[in-house]
Amino acid sequence: MSDSLSYEVVPKVAVPQAAADTPPYWQTVFRRLRNDWLTLAVGAILVGIVSAAIFAPVLAPYSPYSGSILHRLAPIGTPGHWLGTDETGRDIWTRLLYGGRLSLLAGISPVIIALAIGGSLGVIAGYSGGLANSVIMRATDTLYAFPSVLLAVAICGILGNGLLNSILALAAIFVPPMVRISESVTSQVRVLPFMEAAKASGASDLQIIRHHVISNIVGTILVYATSLFSLSIILASGLSFLGLGVNPPDAEWGLMLNSLRQAIYVQPLVAALPGLLIFITSMCFNLMSDGLRSAMDTRLSE
Amino acid sequence: MRRGMAQTGSASSPAGSGGKRDEAVLRASNLSRRFPVRSGVFGRATDYVRAVEDVSFAAVEGETLAIVGESGCGKSTTGRLLMGLVQPDRGSVQFNGKLVGAPGGIPLKSFRQRVQMVFQDSAGSLNPRLPIVDTIAFGPRVHGVGTVEARTRAEALLSEVGLPPRIFARRYPHELSGGQRQRVNIARALALEPRVIIFDEAVSALDKSVSAQIINLLIKLRSERGLTYIFISHDLAVVEFISDRILVMYLGKVVESGPAADLFSAPWHPYTRALLASRLHADPDRRVREAPTTGDPPNPIHPPPGCRFHPRCSMAEPVCTANEPALQEAGTGSRMVACHAYRAGSGHSMAT
Repeated sequence: MSDSLSYEVVPKVAVPQAAADTPPYWQTVFRRLRNDWLTLAVGAILVGIVSAAIFAPVLAPYSPYSGSILHRLAPIGTPGHWLGTDETGRDIWTRLLYGGRLSLLAGISPVIIALAIGGSLGVIAGYSGGLANSVIMRATDTLYAFPSVLLAVAICGILGNGLLNSILALAAIFVPPMVRISESVTSQVRVLPFMEAAKASGASDLQIIRHHVISNIVGTILVYATSLFSLSIILASGLSFLGLGVNPPDAEWGLMLNSLRQAIYVQPLVAALPGLLIFITSMCFNLMSDGLRSAMDTRLSE
Repeated sequence: MRRGMAQTGSASSPAGSGGKRDEAVLRASNLSRRFPVRSGVFGRATDYVRAVEDVSFAAVEGETLAIVGESGCGKSTTGRLLMGLVQPDRGSVQFNGKLVGAPGGIPLKSFRQRVQMVFQDSAGSLNPRLPIVDTIAFGPRVHGVGTVEARTRAEALLSEVGLPPRIFARRYPHELSGGQRQRVNIARALALEPRVIIFDEAVSALDKSVSAQIINLLIKLRSERGLTYIFISHDLAVVEFISDRILVMYLGKVVESGPAADLFSAPWHPYTRALLASRLHADPDRRVREAPTTGDPPNPIHPPPGCRFHPRCSMAEPVCTANEPALQEAGTGSRMVACHAYRAGSGHSMAT
């Protein structure tokens, strides 16, 4: 008994040494994610939506483009067309599957483009400070002066409609907030003492950015980008709803919402389906971003 | 053997060493730096903080040179000027007689391999997102060592500074104690195999027992690796223990320099005397009863005319307000002091 008593004292003395084998940062992030059932659930839904879109040709029972005018505006639960048909008799389930491809593409790619452009501009501005910072940040402020949706509509109007143009327009409106976020976290990191220590080792600015800046800002920026996904999907659908995005024969959730709009008194449930999917997808991205944010917060780790 | 290396370059050493061969491994010449005080909408510089003015010294191979002084006297800025982390307004740094970062001299990058620095903030100077082994390996990788070899070297250094790599290598800074983190910082400095290490208050933030362990480690490393130390500190007990030579700074200027033993046994400059008198003694018979100096150091934006110490000096005379004393050799040996009382013909009544 006395053995176990004295043994208990030992770890107290050697506390700093005793906490051996602490896992790396990303491992602790995953550990915290694993205990967050809400984030896991929305993650699973998103995986489901994305893989449904990817495997649309396999899963879809009909062609997305051809329908029979005889079966137009069938209600939900019609045999053969379980989610109904649209105003030209095309199967809604098929069109939703194919529509997911374009909606996700139009929603996600602007954020990735903005992440690459805005993220690097922000790092350059935040790291170099001085004149480069002023030039980049004032240019960003100019873009900020326009309301984002109007700017996207205006850019689409100038470039003409089409998927690529709507992606470019959305990327353009997401660049300024991306620059701001990455500039602010970079300039916070830049003044930390370990940056001076890295500089004292003779490293070039590029090496310091790669090894010491990126690792400290990537979490914040990724969380922010995830939160933009939901907004981007809604805006992309909005643009095609206005006829500025995807062109009519193609299936896209926003476009489907627009064409089914006329049937809202005939088949309100069918007409609401694309909107429901837009809502669910953007909601899931939002919750996902919240979950990532708390999982990546090291202050909660102790 | 390192001395031998230093001598090979002496033939091409630049002028200014006054005929004597330059034995200094690190030499600072007239380093000066003022920081603008900005105000108003456009951030115009309305005034300047004279952080460091005309600081010159040389560190000889293998010695430990301490820079001491109160907070705000410019000792940390001097360390940063030496490393090139802060650009000097005037003055230069020479390594082995070669100008740093000048054409024909030694490039800043290779200088930073030979001269390394350990900072006061042991936690802040480590990247919180990198395992400590990667932080240590970063320097060698920057200088072209392969990833695997850099990591092996980092692990060897971890055990050299007393942190078994098997337990510590993959740890993150927040999982270490202050003393352990400072050991990591020392290992990081050693990773580039420097000849000179600058310690900027490296043990000041640690508690006494940990600080003593780190000091012992530094002494061990110095003799094993033949290192030269620049030891910036306000802790006179530590300085007396570790240093060979001392540089006393006051308001951005060097007021006295000399061998540690001489300086501690017989301080000359009234400021050095006050500084040494303010130490706490373990011996109750030598207890400090009153404050040796009164008041705060004057504002470095508008330093007092003449000798910068005269408003607080007990020996101040009219000449001290009128003329600024130059740092000159005094007495025998290599002692230097900037005080009219030690300069014959200065007009000070105590000058002989």
